[in-house]
Amino acid sequence: MRVLLVEDDELIASGVEEGLRDAGLTVDWAHDGREAMLALTTTEYELVVLDLGLPKLSGTELLDWLRGRRDDTPVLVMTARDTVADRVGGLTAGADDYLGKPFDLSELIARCRALLRRAHGRSTETIQYRDLIVEPSTFTVTQGGLRQPLTSRECAVLIELLTHQGTPLSRARIEENLYGWQEEVESNAVEVHISNLRKKLGPGIIKTIRGVGYVMEKAS
Amino acid sequence: MTTSIRQRLTLLVLVSVALVWALALISSYRQAIHEAGEWDDARIEQVARTLALVDVNDLVALVNETSHVSDDDGDDDVSRRLLYEVRDLNGQLLAASPGLPGLPPTAAPSAPGKDAANSATAGVPEWNIHQLRDALHDRSVRVFERNDSRADLGAGVARRIARPLAFALPVLALVIWAAIGSSLAPLKILSRAIAARNVDNLETIDLQGTPAEVSPLVDALNVLLSRLHASLDRERAFTADAAHELKSPLAAIKVQAQVALTTRDPAKQRLAMQRVVEAVDRSTHLAEQLLLLARLDERIPAAAIDVHLDTVARECIAARGADALAKGLELSVAGDAYVTIEAPPAFVRIMLDNLVDNAIKYAEAGGRVEIVTRQTPEATLLLVRDNGRGVTEQDRMRLSDRFFRAADARQSGTGLGLSIVARIVDRLGGKLTYTTGIDGRGLGVEIRLPPSSRHNLP
Repeated sequence: MRVLLVEDDELIASGVEEGLRDAGLTVDWAHDGREAMLALTTTEYELVVLDLGLPKLSGTELLDWLRGRRDDTPVLVMTARDTVADRVGGLTAGADDYLGKPFDLSELIARCRALLRRAHGRSTETIQYRDLIVEPSTFTVTQGGLRQPLTSRECAVLIELLTHQGTPLSRARIEENLYGWQEEVESNAVEVHISNLRKKLGPGIIKTIRGVGYVMEKAS
Repeated sequence: MTTSIRQRLTLLVLVSVALVWALALISSYRQAIHEAGEWDDARIEQVARTLALVDVNDLVALVNETSHVSDDDGDDDVSRRLLYEVRDLNGQLLAASPGLPGLPPTAAPSAPGKDAANSATAGVPEWNIHQLRDALHDRSVRVFERNDSRADLGAGVARRIARPLAFALPVLALVIWAAIGSSLAPLKILSRAIAARNVDNLETIDLQGTPAEVSPLVDALNVLLSRLHASLDRERAFTADAAHELKSPLAAIKVQAQVALTTRDPAKQRLAMQRVVEAVDRSTHLAEQLLLLARLDERIPAAAIDVHLDTVARECIAARGADALAKGLELSVAGDAYVTIEAPPAFVRIMLDNLVDNAIKYAEAGGRVEIVTRQTPEATLLLVRDNGRGVTEQDRMRLSDRFFRAADARQSGTGLGLSIVARIVDRLGGKLTYTTGIDGRGLGVEIRLPPSSRHNLP
């Protein structure tokens, strides 16, 4: 799942980026409001983690702009200005959650997960699909009570397909959700992950739709 | 002297009124006494003339009858006693009031036909004697009037004039007291309006119908209030900003420490810990800058000595050799040598450090940073300039604002450096202007300091 981190403070941003990556999210880091605006117009994100005190274009302005173009991407605001009035103002302006600096990295990750979960219409973290139980927070997958050893990338692909059950996802879309700006992507990386998943979880679990992409059918 | 305006005014007005009244009283008393005296003389002469004409038989009865001139006007005047003695010109007593003191008849004859009212005192202490010699009727009349009856008359007149005043003065005092009290009411309203305020309410005072004498006070108060308001607002904004700025490095420390704690990759752990150290350094620097600014604001006196600007500039540049080399910058000092100013040496060094740090930070790789010192008879000039990206005209106006950072600032910083420089320049009595840097590029900071005269800074 691809997340846009907007933060001008290098020391905070690098830590948050690291933490979110560790949690299995794909992170793009924008240093200022303009860069974030550009990223949001060119890429589809499932979550924006936004600092309010930004150079060039403030976080509040960015939020206004985002909501102004009817973009419902969940936004988590993190800021040092966290009086009740600031929080209320931020939430009214269209933020989905508010976190005051300094914050706990684990709390930030948990809140990000909660926002992502809610965006996909789930109320619990655990995803159940036929005999599969997936715990996105710990990257554990059990099938029929048996733990399946998956790599974090494989797990990310699985979660991506599971959250869009019944909707075919293109290779490019999966790739986009898997790798950030700075990461090198091998041309057949997605195919490799899919074939590994089929090997581990059974050949019929992911269907290929030629010319479109991959899909996991809706659990009946 | 009492400090109450009301008491003072009342006292002053009453004393002046009493004084004026006393003067008026004295003058009317004198006038009254004079008038009464004349009237009395006329009356006595008339009585004497009558006695000179009256038949001898009637004379005795008349003298007995009229020796008591009763005063029936109801007041407490002393009885206006007159005594008479009528003789013929040979000195033969014709009639005399009873109780008349034995007095020698006056032998001095007056010119016949001429009525002479001789009111000279004839040696008897208690009595005034008025004498009339009437040659035509062969009579010599003497009218005796008690010595003190004139004084009694005067006292009576004085009492009559003074009595209403004795009543009027307390009434007047009350009226004045009340009038002054009501005139001072706006002051009372004002003080109540001020007393009713709490510390947070520094809005200007708006009183309806303030009298002309009180409005300057209200105006002055309002000016003070709005100044206080502005300074309190600045203070609050500063505290909020400072807290905000301190939270950012703290957030960085926490995040990086947690990354170090959770990651299993030793290289990432090490990197995270390095960033923790970096963030601690940054917050330390911020705390130092804040403390410095607070000290400058407190205006703690600092001893000024002769400082060679160009020497300090060279020291400052020498200390940054490594930074400059890393960025490929050329640092130089130019202009006059031995430019001397009188200032606390620490101030000069802090000022130059901040300016050069800024210039190095915003200069582009391979660029130049230059310190120019110049001495003119009117002023000492210090110029620090670079040929970096510079600052827009719009942002230059706000460069000295605390925590202000240019919109496109990519470099980390506290946003306090130039406000510290501005405070120091202010304390040195100088003037700070932002111009363009080297070759029409970058930023130039020009500081004009007054020519030295040995003094301790406030």
